[in-house]
Amino acid sequence: MELVDRYLYAVRCGLPKGQQNDILAELAEDIRSQIEDLETGLGRPVNEAEIVEILKQRGHPAKVAARYVPQQYLIGPALYPIYRLVLKIVVLWVLVPVFAFVVGRIAVATALHPSQTLIKTLWDLAMSAVFTLGVVTLVFSIMERYPAGAKPFEKWDPRKLPRAPKSAPESRSTPRATAIAELAASLIFSTLYVAWFRTTFDVGGLHITLAPIWRAMCWPFLAVILIGGVKGYLSLVWPDRIRLRFGIRVAINIITLILVGVLLNAGTWVNLSAAGAPVGGLAEAARWTNFGFKIFLWFTAAIAIGDAVPEGMRIFSKKPAWNYSIAT
Amino acid sequence: MNTELFENLRLELRRGCLVLAVLAELRTEHYGYELRKALADRGMAIDENTLYPLLRRLESQGLLASQWREEDKRNKRFYRLSSDGEIILKQLLEEWNIINSSITRIVTGEPIAEEELSI
Repeated sequence: MELVDRYLYAVRCGLPKGQQNDILAELAEDIRSQIEDLETGLGRPVNEAEIVEILKQRGHPAKVAARYVPQQYLIGPALYPIYRLVLKIVVLWVLVPVFAFVVGRIAVATALHPSQTLIKTLWDLAMSAVFTLGVVTLVFSIMERYPAGAKPFEKWDPRKLPRAPKSAPESRSTPRATAIAELAASLIFSTLYVAWFRTTFDVGGLHITLAPIWRAMCWPFLAVILIGGVKGYLSLVWPDRIRLRFGIRVAINIITLILVGVLLNAGTWVNLSAAGAPVGGLAEAARWTNFGFKIFLWFTAAIAIGDAVPEGMRIFSKKPAWNYSIAT
Repeated sequence: MNTELFENLRLELRRGCLVLAVLAELRTEHYGYELRKALADRGMAIDENTLYPLLRRLESQGLLASQWREEDKRNKRFYRLSSDGEIILKQLLEEWNIINSSITRIVTGEPIAEEELSI
């Protein structure tokens, strides 16, 4: 019976504290009864192979013990979709762009060894993603265990759910808040753009000069920002003119694509200089910075295409956006 | 794939029925192994890794009562239905009969009787 003892001891390790002896006593009795039944049937004592077979049929000790532990999860099915959404937003839409277009670019532009800095930046990005994953998971697991106030999925009101889009395409109006936000964003961005537009920057002794093409592009880019404001204004005045809205959005994307094309054609977008810095190091830094700009421009072009195509299709689409309305 | 799918659905279907079977069988006192055999003899085989945690759960819910007792010079834990368990078993059996009748009607396409509708 040494095998049975070993089996029971292994099961014990996974059992909830305080119940171990009770569960093991019952389990031991069950195994003993099963062995006795088998011995009665065989008319002889069981051998080691038969005991092994009995224990194997009962399953791995960890699996057996797990059945006595209440089912636990870090984040339950109700919170899981929100958890995934938050992770996606934080990692894909905040962390990656911040590293790709801000931290990474500044680090590479100011580094003496850009290639090493790039690898280090990528490593930092990976570590930040792991850290973010940990923090978000921790926050959600706390929310799972200690829901704030009344349980959020029990205390809810259908009247507070967001409005479903109307069924008829002509009545798919722009929400007033969206129109105001577009208009305000356009005004704020254009003001900041005009006030802060420069072609030279000093970062820690490094002199960064934007290529002449940026000066030529200054007004066209301002025009794109302002057209966004016009779109917001028109959506506010004529919220139901959805085709006009789609049309303006497509126009903005086309103009953006043209501007990006012109910029890509320039080939060089930034020059670096620093007093006393090694010429080779500066050239390397400039090369990586320009490479970063190139990636950024291609990324912008991809976003513009990705946005323009579905918007363009919606101009000609007669299919209702929402087909399940039971409202009369 | 179909076998696996069937097996999963079968287990899902059986899960609720096991509670009913265990409660009903424990109208007579049994210890674990004896209960397992009694259920298997009546066509409701249940493996020990499912039965013992289920017995603990039902006991913690107050539906079963248990006590360790010596029998044949061995300590065994005997289970029986508690008074709360009897009430719940009665309600579950009524529910079971309603489900059974409904499924039969759905499968055979037989309409529900008017007197049942008025209940």
